[in-house]
Amino acid sequence: MNEKHSKPDNAQRVYGQVLHWVSTLGIVFVILGFAIYIFELFPLKVPISDIAKNWHLGAEELNRQFHLPTGWAWVNDMLHGDVLSFASIVYLSGATIICLAAVAVVFFREKNVIYTTIAFLQILVLVFAASGIIGSGH
Amino acid sequence: MSLKFCDWLFLLVVPAVLFFLPEIVFAADVVASEGIAAESLPSEGFAWWVWVLLLFVFSFFLGIIAVVAGVGGGVLYVPIVSSLFPFHLDFVRGAGLMVALAGALSAGAPLLNKGLANLRLALSMALIGSISSIFGALVGLALPSHIIQLSLGFTIVFIAIIMLMAKKSEFPEISAPDKLSQILHIHGIYYEASLKKDIDWQIHRTPVGLVLFVVIGFMAGMFGLGAGWANVPVFNLVLGAPLKVSVATSVFVLSINDTAAAWIYLHKGAVLPLIAVPSIAGMMLGTKIGAKLLTRVKTKSVRVIVITLLLLAGFRAILKGFGI
Repeated sequence: MNEKHSKPDNAQRVYGQVLHWVSTLGIVFVILGFAIYIFELFPLKVPISDIAKNWHLGAEELNRQFHLPTGWAWVNDMLHGDVLSFASIVYLSGATIICLAAVAVVFFREKNVIYTTIAFLQILVLVFAASGIIGSGH
Repeated sequence: MSLKFCDWLFLLVVPAVLFFLPEIVFAADVVASEGIAAESLPSEGFAWWVWVLLLFVFSFFLGIIAVVAGVGGGVLYVPIVSSLFPFHLDFVRGAGLMVALAGALSAGAPLLNKGLANLRLALSMALIGSISSIFGALVGLALPSHIIQLSLGFTIVFIAIIMLMAKKSEFPEISAPDKLSQILHIHGIYYEASLKKDIDWQIHRTPVGLVLFVVIGFMAGMFGLGAGWANVPVFNLVLGAPLKVSVATSVFVLSINDTAAAWIYLHKGAVLPLIAVPSIAGMMLGTKIGAKLLTRVKTKSVRVIVITLLLLAGFRAILKGFGI
């Protein structure tokens, strides 16, 4: 049968499976986080109406006006509705790193030096971006 | 050539909603705000939830039109939302990246499992593309808004021209794979349902593709666009991957490149959940409906509408950039 030959290899299958669960969970988090935010189930760091009054300002100006933390400093304010909603978006942005870590392990076990290296380098690039070493602060 | 009611409805209603609904609301908004104390309402007169709801509805229709026209949501989202909504371009680009990322993440798994997206091809190109998208995001957030608006406008007009001119090749002929693609083992087999057989494919000109992905990554990060409009022609016409493999692998590359740029926007505080989440939810719902409409609506006509919308949004961004 033809389809027998066109099945994805092991690494691709693992990436697909991990991606399915991680992204499904991500969408659930994003919707839950937003519901907590707009229905104010937790206190907010900045009232929604204040954000709406100022969303015409640039990111830097808005952050300065409300003393909003940049980088990873928001982690200290996790029990706020707006921060929880932001955290759900952060999770979505981390989904690819989780999938890459899973596939790097598969490549490593298969002794695939080239793709273990590429996957590892890709994780490094994304972790570097996620670290906030560049990009955070004003 | 006769169009069915469904086609007419789609061709007339969706673009009208996309371009005129925010304008109508904005006009009503200005009238409303004249009679109300400015400080009692958000920046543009209406309560915040009206804008959020409007953004959700708008993104929903954008999602429908994007999937029917075969383009990513990000490329339509950023120029049109930045033209019609009162949000700063920083937040629109941040939300645009999240829209493209969420769409790519949810579409990625089935494409990988079916063997349409190719992990090796994607990882090889995404590594270099993600590095340049970080630099693109940093440059994009450092430059003054009017410069970004201006370059965004020119880029969008350029993308519309590419969409108008670009040819597609279902199964490109590759005489021999290049050395680098052989070292990286980039080749594959996928099952082509329309032909009921497996299609073997390989690629060539890998170094040229890598250089092009540097440029694509940079632009995606700078403008928050997603980059399906560029990924697909490079995979298909430059590297010679079959069209379906190109489209599927492009989605997958997008999920990696946009992740890199998204972190920069997150750390700079350029992602507001109030703008990003309704956009993500609306767009994802819209793409699901769009996928169902795909067989009923004439995609060629929708493509013409999308190109027209892009040209309008592009020229509008250029005018905004010049302060007109």
